Amino acid sequence: MPELLQFRAVDTYYGDLHVLKAVDYRIEEGEIVCLLGGNASGKSTTMKAIMGIVVPARGDIVYEGKSLAGISVAERVRRGIAPVLEARRLFPRMTVYENLEMGAYIRSRGPEFDEDLERVFTLFPRVKERLRQLAGTLSGGEQQMVAIGRALMARPKLLCMDEPSMGLAPVFVEQVFDIIQTINRQGTTIFMVEQNANMALSIAHRAYVLQTGQVVLSGAAEELRRNPMIREAYLGEMKVE
Amino acid sequence: MTVGETFTWLRRAGPLARIERQTWQRIAVVCLFGAAILFPIGHRNDADIDAAANALTFAALALGLNIVVGLAGLLDLGYAAFFAIGAYTYGAMASWQMTPDWSSFWEPFQWLGLVARFHETSGDVVHFQVSFWLMMPVAAAVTAFFGILFGFPTLRLRGDYLAIVTLGFGEIVPIVARNTPYVTNGAMGLNGVAAPQLFGWSFGVDATPYYYVGLALVAFLILTSQRLKFSRIGRAWMAIREDELAAAAMGVDRTKMKLLAFATGAAFAGATGTLFVAKLQTATPEMFGFPVSVMILVMIVFGGIGSVWGVVLGALILQLLQSWFLEDLSGWLHSLGRLIHVEWLQRIELASSIELIFGLILVFMMLYRREGLIPATRRVAPLTTEEQTAAPTRGGFEGLKGLGAVEERGSDPLLEIAGLTVRFGGLVALGEVSLSMPAHSVLAVIGPNGSGKSTLFNAVTGLVSAQSGRVRFAGQEIGGLAPHLVLDRGIARTFQNIRLFPNLTVLENVLIGMHARLHTGAVEALLRLPRTRREEQEARDKAMEILAVFGNRLMPRVDHVVSSLSYANRRRVEIARALASRPKLLLLDEPTAGMNPAETLELADQIKSLNRLGLSIVLIEHKLDVVVNLANRVIVLDHGEKIAEGSPAEVRQNDEVIRAYLGRSAAVA
Amino acid sequence: MIIDPVLLQQVINGLSLGAMYALLALGFTLVYGILELINFAHFNVFMVSSFIGMWALEMLGISGQSTVLGGFALVGTLVFAFVVTMLSAGVLGVAIERIALRPLRNARGTAAMITTIGVSYILFNVILLTAGASSFNFPNPMPSVRWDIGGATLQLREVLIWTIAVVLMLGLHLFVNQTRLGKAMRATAQDAEAARMMGIDVDRVIITAFFLGSALAGAAALIFGLYYNFTSFIIGYTAGLRAFTAAVLGGIGSVTGAMVGGVLIGLIESLGGHFFATRWADVIIFSILVLVLVFVPSGLFGRAPATRA
Repeated sequence: MPELLQFRAVDTYYGDLHVLKAVDYRIEEGEIVCLLGGNASGKSTTMKAIMGIVVPARGDIVYEGKSLAGISVAERVRRGIAPVLEARRLFPRMTVYENLEMGAYIRSRGPEFDEDLERVFTLFPRVKERLRQLAGTLSGGEQQMVAIGRALMARPKLLCMDEPSMGLAPVFVEQVFDIIQTINRQGTTIFMVEQNANMALSIAHRAYVLQTGQVVLSGAAEELRRNPMIREAYLGEMKVE
Repeated sequence: MTVGETFTWLRRAGPLARIERQTWQRIAVVCLFGAAILFPIGHRNDADIDAAANALTFAALALGLNIVVGLAGLLDLGYAAFFAIGAYTYGAMASWQMTPDWSSFWEPFQWLGLVARFHETSGDVVHFQVSFWLMMPVAAAVTAFFGILFGFPTLRLRGDYLAIVTLGFGEIVPIVARNTPYVTNGAMGLNGVAAPQLFGWSFGVDATPYYYVGLALVAFLILTSQRLKFSRIGRAWMAIREDELAAAAMGVDRTKMKLLAFATGAAFAGATGTLFVAKLQTATPEMFGFPVSVMILVMIVFGGIGSVWGVVLGALILQLLQSWFLEDLSGWLHSLGRLIHVEWLQRIELASSIELIFGLILVFMMLYRREGLIPATRRVAPLTTEEQTAAPTRGGFEGLKGLGAVEERGSDPLLEIAGLTVRFGGLVALGEVSLSMPAHSVLAVIGPNGSGKSTLFNAVTGLVSAQSGRVRFAGQEIGGLAPHLVLDRGIARTFQNIRLFPNLTVLENVLIGMHARLHTGAVEALLRLPRTRREEQEARDKAMEILAVFGNRLMPRVDHVVSSLSYANRRRVEIARALASRPKLLLLDEPTAGMNPAETLELADQIKSLNRLGLSIVLIEHKLDVVVNLANRVIVLDHGEKIAEGSPAEVRQNDEVIRAYLGRSAAVA
Repeated sequence: MIIDPVLLQQVINGLSLGAMYALLALGFTLVYGILELINFAHFNVFMVSSFIGMWALEMLGISGQSTVLGGFALVGTLVFAFVVTMLSAGVLGVAIERIALRPLRNARGTAAMITTIGVSYILFNVILLTAGASSFNFPNPMPSVRWDIGGATLQLREVLIWTIAVVLMLGLHLFVNQTRLGKAMRATAQDAEAARMMGIDVDRVIITAFFLGSALAGAAALIFGLYYNFTSFIIGYTAGLRAFTAAVLGGIGSVTGAMVGGVLIGLIESLGGHFFATRWADVIIFSILVLVLVFVPSGLFGRAPATRA
């Protein structure tokens, strides 16, 4: 499968703090790739770098064969990268419908918009029920549905999800991961940052494991699930130079 | 060589190199005051001297506003109100504005010479004639009281809202003045305010004596500002300005310090108001409106917010610009206009455009040079190459003996938490967490992101209130105590995202950690008694001892502003700051975050040494090898609840813990 | 039910004042909602706009209250005046943002607010120096038609003012709730970073907020002139104080709050003037401002309290 997104030896800094250290990722079209790791490992920064909020100090992020250096956030969304943000971050005093509209902000209204809206309703029947409700009044799980729906309204090629399971009750976590698989089968490539390694690996094709900004493990999800070193990486024990 | 390089060579290598920087400064100050004293003698133009006296008045006001805005960071947009209060206080007591009927009540005051009995056809009345010299401090005190009164409602407000409230007060005062004619003679203004008298000789209308009083006042206020700025009080103010919450966590009583700043700034304005009104012999409400507050603000922004000499310079330049230069400048512009045939240039009157000029200066400075003419933060010489590339060394811990000492109370735990619950809206950040920790031990708190670890620290240190539960430290209940009181009891902390005071030096940051352990108050700082100097020197020595723990990583940088330090060094400074408060219990929130393995090892080692000295430590940490190395006991939080507790080895193998970190798998919903 | 005619008159006056304050407060709150910036310059943009409006009407040959128009001529003139004034005000607002505020977008604390004080000063003094300190007779083409309502007088100009204010507020409401850019503004006010990640051009949103906010100030300025028949360099301060208090009372950042607050302050001023001497008016308004900020900082409809932890 052709490569959709690639990180080539990317370094990022926060002030003088070296956050991502020469990381390499590769995401092929149609895959679900997860980025796993414990606290302060650099997972969120990876997401921000893809969206363009954080600019790499060294290295390159390549999307569809072209470098993303200097490309604005809006342009990245236009090119097909859409985010599902950590802790949802819906617009709390806008209705569910308006939030979905904002997801499609860079696109023009027309039949495609309606199609995508239908698709979101099919995936998330609860969302359709709550269209006129203010997003801030929904439960965590419902908000996550809307957040994913909002990202889908951009008709993305690459869906970037930042910790979709965070703060959700277990029953919702299962639902969300089922939906992620469905979306992927419908043709969207998914790059997912997740703390819940078990759930993530159960649906991913491949995964990377970060520890303090470096990739310490990578490979097929199946293999990683059985690898005891994951536990060490999460508990911050892996020895890295 | 450029001028700068020549100067630097002269100072470092040339014949003047032996003269220390401080001596240079003293010489400069003496020359400056000498010139100022000789000025009216040499230049006998009364109008110019009058202008200079006015300039000194505003320099005094600028110094006062500098305390409130520059040091304490409280944006007061209504400062002129204090000027008004001081002015009217003297004016009312030194003019015949108020004439209550005579009664025997007034006799003792008459005996003291404060009032006179005046015979009017309708009966005898009181004429106030309180001495200027007596009223200056009295007016300052009265104004200080109003400073506290106006400051009090603003204590919990954010910067911009605080500004609006002070603006409100600043406007209410002149309006009240305009509408209480009994005291102030309303819009017409006081008249007949008595000139000061010295040994029977009245100052009259000549500007020169007022000039000298103004000079003395400015000199005194400069001295006061400097003494306060470089004292425990000044540091506390600057800490509040930089990061109010961190200041509280380091023991600064915010309420007291903020009110003190308001009171001090107000007192400056009160004293100055007395001089102003005595010189003009009148006072009208228009003299104290919003434009005056803005003008003083422009002066301190122009001169350099926070810099004592800077604001004096700013005030003098802007005032003298108005009085001495604008007319000439206008003349030149007229000539230029005639020369190049531009009509409006010929008509321009800069003197009346002075407020426009102020507006332009304000915008220009904010956009291009926010630090002002003389920046408050001095730039320090960068490290030499040797210093930069030196291999890091560590210091010993001998100087820190006695740290963490607690009265031995048998086997009672040092820290006891029972059923602590913290809710943010609907979210339960901590749910019924309990723990117990013996003295001199190291407890590690671990758990995945968002599990409530930092919230636990915040609840213990009083930054966040708990809905239920109890916290007991060294046998006393501390739940609900304000953060600075918790520090006082002996719990110090660091923050996950490092909350240092960015524009202060390493040394200043550490000294603020000692705030609660030092005792110098404002008056003592002002007087600079030997006892105060001793305390300050001892504090500095202790601070250096603590910094020496980190060896040459921090020692060469003690006078560097912390925002210029590396991430790892800033973490170290934060720990040093916490240690400076001589805590019994140290809470470290991810101290090794962002450090490479070598630095992590080093810090872990230092933490271990601190514990061996007797310091009890609670540690939030992700790197489990660090935890294993250091902790006696570990508790694991997940989603705000304690899910495991035990020795590091036990916890590592615990299934619950592993599941918390790696997440529940689908099968085990 | 018979209402005391004097009271009724005060209510009518209060509603006219309220309409003006509401528009002025709305403009102010639009910017605050997105940037959390207290823009002092807003109220002198209002003042400058009133002079622009005056000159626009004079350009049409209308001077003082002597030229009276009716029917289409009146409507056309008013439309022209409003368009010119609002556009000029909007452009001025955007210019201020670009020149004085954008460089300070990321500055800490109150730096940007202090800059708006400087800009406000500049505007104030430019007008003072060029136009002078006197009051100017505002050109008013409206016929002095009046009706008697229950003993009180209702003037045509008041009806026109209410109509214009309602139309503008409705327009703003529609813009903010029905148009793409308007919704983008609301989104940015609620979470600027998330909005950016939807592809929203936050810079463009900010410019729009300044343009619309200033345009509303322009409309309020023209209403001021048509209601009071005068303008002067000081009105930014006098009317501005009231509008600012209205915004705070309603809850800074809340559109509904600005509207409700504006009407409330207008009524308070009008009814209060009945009971208190006018010289205390400013003190009362300032006191309301201070009391709201100290005790109920979120105002009537606002959200985030102004307190620190």
